Amino acid sequence: MLMSSVPDDLASALAACANGDKNALRSIFDREASRLVAIAERIVRRRDLAEEVVQESFIRIWTHAHQYSPDRGSARGWIYAIVRNRALNLLRDSRREFSVEDVDVLRESEQVDAVMAAWHKLDRHSRLYHCLAALDETKRHGILMAYVSGYSHGEIAGRLRVPLGTAKSWIRRGLAALRECMA
Amino acid sequence: MTVGRTDLATLADEYVLGLLDAAEASAVEADMEREPGLRAAIAASRERFLPLDEGAEALPVRPGFWSQIEASLPTGVGTTASVPEPSANDNRRNGWRATAIAAIAASVILALGLAFSLMRAVEPLVVAVLVDDKGEVQAIIEDFGNEKATVRLLVDLDVPAGKTIQVWTLPSREMGPVSLGLIDNGRSVRLDGPVLPAPHDSQLYELTLEQAGGSPTGRPTGLILAKGLAKLAR
Repeated sequence: MLMSSVPDDLASALAACANGDKNALRSIFDREASRLVAIAERIVRRRDLAEEVVQESFIRIWTHAHQYSPDRGSARGWIYAIVRNRALNLLRDSRREFSVEDVDVLRESEQVDAVMAAWHKLDRHSRLYHCLAALDETKRHGILMAYVSGYSHGEIAGRLRVPLGTAKSWIRRGLAALRECMA
Repeated sequence: MTVGRTDLATLADEYVLGLLDAAEASAVEADMEREPGLRAAIAASRERFLPLDEGAEALPVRPGFWSQIEASLPTGVGTTASVPEPSANDNRRNGWRATAIAAIAASVILALGLAFSLMRAVEPLVVAVLVDDKGEVQAIIEDFGNEKATVRLLVDLDVPAGKTIQVWTLPSREMGPVSLGLIDNGRSVRLDGPVLPAPHDSQLYELTLEQAGGSPTGRPTGLILAKGLAKLAR
């Protein structure tokens, strides 16, 4: 079972990091860094910022590895969440600095492609693909825009051209349907 | 907190998707440490969406990136041999132990704070112990629920020139973070805040570093110095 050995390796690498083994951190870097930069870049849009996010994340993985335990999910999910949260925080900070219009202009053109690319690259045999495909297109888009590119409720409402409250309730219903489908 | 299972699952999903604002996300992260149900819901949500990230096309990593990360790792954290520690009880390899000690210290201080507050004529409705990102206690806030709150600083917080410490609370997700006031000279203060709903159990309180005069946007923009969730004074 080659596939299932990978997450286990990451969990033991985290345990080794908690014991001060830098080689273990290096092994996580070698295995995951290139994908982590891509995940961060989908959210923050700039390579230099994405690398900054990944660098800070590896420091956090190093200092917080002792906090990982299986009740927090898979080791990979835990590591990816650190990167996603850093990237999302940077995005939240940048929303404070630019006006909403600036952000829209910056994000509108390029990110539609990133969201669609993520959808098309998703493993067709995965449950997530099957269950996302079963949703209305608007709900699916809303969920993908948020997860893949870090869109806020307001930005999703703007792109789907619906009031904010409508966008929120569509996404909530989409998420509920997704949970039920994947349960 | 009385959150139903559906609400918990929705909150977890919205947190994982990044749909919560900064204050809401911090509140969820703080709650997650104490509530196994929320922790499990977030773990399940992460696993559901993980394939979208696993499908991301790997980008080439620039040469020297690892060396840069390695050089920026803090020394003495999680390491076994690089930094000699004079103390006989070696806490370094057991981060949980430091966390537990911080938590015990927080409880003791909370208990002392409560005991002290019971001896006074006017009692606060809630008390919050604020800790920094290492779990060390930084300050105690007592909110009297009558537009008055006191902040006791328990450490010397470093306030650079042109900056000030601002005190925030999150009365509800709908209201968002609200400023209770500023701590200008880095000393314990009594604040006259705005009219707000009575503070409730687990309400988030936070200190941030803002430019002198306070945050220009009316929302926290600067570094979080300390945060904590309130407990009802009983």
